[in-house]
Amino acid sequence: MVDFIVSKYNYWIYIVLMMIGFYAMIGKRNMIKKIIGMNIFQTAIILFYVSIGCKEGGTLPILEHAHGHAEQAIQVAAYINPLPHVLMLTAIVVMVATLGVALAIAIMIYKKYHTLEEDEILKAIQ
Amino acid sequence: MIITGVILIYGTTDMPDWGDPDSPASLHVSPRYITKTMDETATPNMVTSVLADYRSYDTLGETTVIFTAGMACILLLRKRRNGNG
Repeated sequence: MVDFIVSKYNYWIYIVLMMIGFYAMIGKRNMIKKIIGMNIFQTAIILFYVSIGCKEGGTLPILEHAHGHAEQAIQVAAYINPLPHVLMLTAIVVMVATLGVALAIAIMIYKKYHTLEEDEILKAIQ
Repeated sequence: MIITGVILIYGTTDMPDWGDPDSPASLHVSPRYITKTMDETATPNMVTSVLADYRSYDTLGETTVIFTAGMACILLLRKRRNGNG
C-alpha cells in the first residue's frame, strides 16, 4: 500500500493542480482568473508528461563523453526519456502563445467595456 | 469537478510507477533516440537532436504558431493605441 502511494502520488499532485485550474476556468467570473486557470491546467499537463519521462537513476538526456572519446556502449536506462521533454518544449511555446493572445483580447475587452467580470459584460451587451 | 478529479485519480492506478525504466513511454522510440543520436545527428544533447532533426517539421509548425500569436498580439494592441479600436 505504501509502495503504491509512493509510486503514484506524483500523478495525484498533478490532478489536484489540474482541478484547481479547471475550477478557475469554470467557476470564476473574472476573465483574468479564467486565463490564469487555463495556464495552471496546462502546467499540470506539462508536469505530468515530464514525470512520465523520468527514470529512476537516470541522468539528463545529454550524452556523457560524446566528443573525443572512444565509442562506448550507451546504456538506455542511464538517460531519462528525451521525448516528453521535447514535446513539452513545444507545449510550453503553445502555452505562452495562447496566454499572450488571451491577455491581449482581455485588454481589448477591458478597453471596450471597462470591466473584466463576465456578468457585467453580458449586462452591457444586452 | 470533484467527480472528474476522482475519475482521473482512479485512472492513475493503471499508470506506470514513478521512475520506472520499463514504462511504456520509454520503450518505443526513445531508446532509438538515445542510442543513435551521436551516429545520426552528431549532437550529444538528445533533446536538441529530436527537436531540430527528427521532429524539425514539428518545430517549424511551432515557429508558425508563435509567429501567428505574436502577429495577433501586435495587431490587437496596436489598434488600441491608434484609438480606432
